[in-house]
Amino acid sequence: MSVASYAQVFERCAAAWPAAQRRARRAKLEEFLRLGFPTRKLEDWRYTDLSALAERSFEPARRTAVALQDALLPRSDRLVYVNGELDRNASTADELSALVETETPGATGVDALNAAFATPGLNLALGPHARLARPLHLILAGAANPQAAMTHQRHRIHLGQSAEAVLLVEFRGAAGGDRLVTQTFDIRLAPGSRLRLYRLQDEAAGSHLISRMDARLARDARIDIVCLDRGCGLARHDLNLELAEPGAEVELAGFYQPAAGAHLDNHTRIVHAAPHGRSRELFKGIVGEKSRAVFNGKIVVSPGAQKTDSEQRVANLLLAPRAEVDAKPELEIYTDDVKCAHGATVGQLDETALAYLRSRGIADSDARALLRRAFALEVLDRIAWPALRDRAALLLGYPPAAETALDP
Amino acid sequence: MLEIRNLHATVAGKDILKGLDLTVRAGEVHAIMGPNGSGKSTLAHVLAGREGYEVTQGTVRFEGKNLLELPPEARACEGLFLGFQYPVEIPGVSNLTLLKAALNAQRKHRGAPEIDATDFLVWVRECARVMGIDPKMLSRGVNEGFSGGEKKRNEILQMLVLQPRLAILDETDSGLDIDALKVVAEGINRLRAPQRAFVLVTHYQRLLDYVQPDFVHVLAGGRIVKSGGPELARELEEKGYGWLEAA
Repeated sequence: MSVASYAQVFERCAAAWPAAQRRARRAKLEEFLRLGFPTRKLEDWRYTDLSALAERSFEPARRTAVALQDALLPRSDRLVYVNGELDRNASTADELSALVETETPGATGVDALNAAFATPGLNLALGPHARLARPLHLILAGAANPQAAMTHQRHRIHLGQSAEAVLLVEFRGAAGGDRLVTQTFDIRLAPGSRLRLYRLQDEAAGSHLISRMDARLARDARIDIVCLDRGCGLARHDLNLELAEPGAEVELAGFYQPAAGAHLDNHTRIVHAAPHGRSRELFKGIVGEKSRAVFNGKIVVSPGAQKTDSEQRVANLLLAPRAEVDAKPELEIYTDDVKCAHGATVGQLDETALAYLRSRGIADSDARALLRRAFALEVLDRIAWPALRDRAALLLGYPPAAETALDP
Repeated sequence: MLEIRNLHATVAGKDILKGLDLTVRAGEVHAIMGPNGSGKSTLAHVLAGREGYEVTQGTVRFEGKNLLELPPEARACEGLFLGFQYPVEIPGVSNLTLLKAALNAQRKHRGAPEIDATDFLVWVRECARVMGIDPKMLSRGVNEGFSGGEKKRNEILQMLVLQPRLAILDETDSGLDIDALKVVAEGINRLRAPQRAFVLVTHYQRLLDYVQPDFVHVLAGGRIVKSGGPELARELEEKGYGWLEAA
């Protein structure tokens, strides 16, 4: 495999970096050149093939004008990057932008590539008992460049003891263009802190998005995550949550509904490393014509993590003969005194319910949309931010619910 | 309004209806009675266009149109309503969402604009009051966690909201206690009008004490074997169906 083009681009970029950074970046580049992109021979990459990226050539992406109007949510602060460059005019929290080091070790060539080319990202550090006044909306937008382009960013979210924050990370893309985007998040939650994290993805066809989030939860820390995936050419998310100290809690829900031609891969890994941890994981997906979804959910209960309470549930609807979903729950339990439950299903829309709705005059396509929404609601209802919930439903193409009119 | 001629239908390759004739005119209430397995529910499902029921012979015209070539949703939009014997539970689709989607689909079919959100709620609440349904239940999933009686009342609620021209109620009275039966009957009677017709498919005479039919038909072996007035229902209640099946 040849990844030579990445080395050439590196040399051209290197002059612009401060000498102090160059050395560390070069080490990462060499690591990348050695490892290359993950191949399907790696168990964690069996269903998502990045090998074609090796032969490609991507220029560093440049900021261009991009429409953000429909992304804006009321009563929130914003940090906006377009093709990896900070958009100060669109941001209300640009002081949070910084080039950050991350403490999480890399695992694949993609992590090394990200580190070699990393540009500034969100740097949120809350002191003890601090609370973010308003939800923070991190917009990572892609826009078409004349040439195939790449963006690599790193972000850091560190909450001090008993600090609280609500964060929406949104990957979005304007149509057109061909891009490679890697995004790395380093999340540390000090004792008693609480992070509510939303991850929304609606990239355009033709994009390759690889995201990785690593969160470490200290004693009694809690993270609530809702992930939604819609668009993209190819998206791969790695979400690694470590309940490192006793009493930590994870509430994770995800929903994917790939657009036609899309390939969405969610890998989650929840590690119970300490006693009395609690994790709840629910992923649901609707996969239609010519699209593919991969879900791999690993739960590890380490030796000594007694009284762990863990549940994982995965449910998929396959709506077309040529749709594909590869759902794989994985449990590794090294302790006796634990409660772990898991289940995975693949099914179709309920034909009886469909017939009932049609018998009332509702057109077949509308009835199907109602049933798809009904399936998604279990996840959508976890979004405790009404404006975001409405946007998410719209993004997934669901009709508005009649009962919203009940509360004026 | 409804003209069924020589209707033959099969389910899973088995002949169920074997030459059924029935004419229903506007303003009339017809009761179709008969023993279990006589084809009563099959008739209701064939008329509503349920999948799995194959018509092998005969015609059904509804308001002059060939009913059998219309998909189920088009039949509903033309004014046909089927009250199910076993209403389906649909978690995640609220009763209000179903009612609004159905009402607007039928309005669209007629070329009418979507109903105003406030008018819709006022109308649905009024219908719910008649049926003794707590408005809070309207926000719940369709029939989700409803008791058998609540499901049947919910069918009649849908009928009241949608105001069909022809309602076919398939054993809507089964499984109801006497109070629920009275509420269901009240819902049906409220909708009786010169331009509207009903076909009540029932096993028992009980419902007919509260909803007076104009005609009573006995369905046996896939055909109507006897027709008469309300007195026929009472006769059946006394004698059972045996004497007709034997004939």
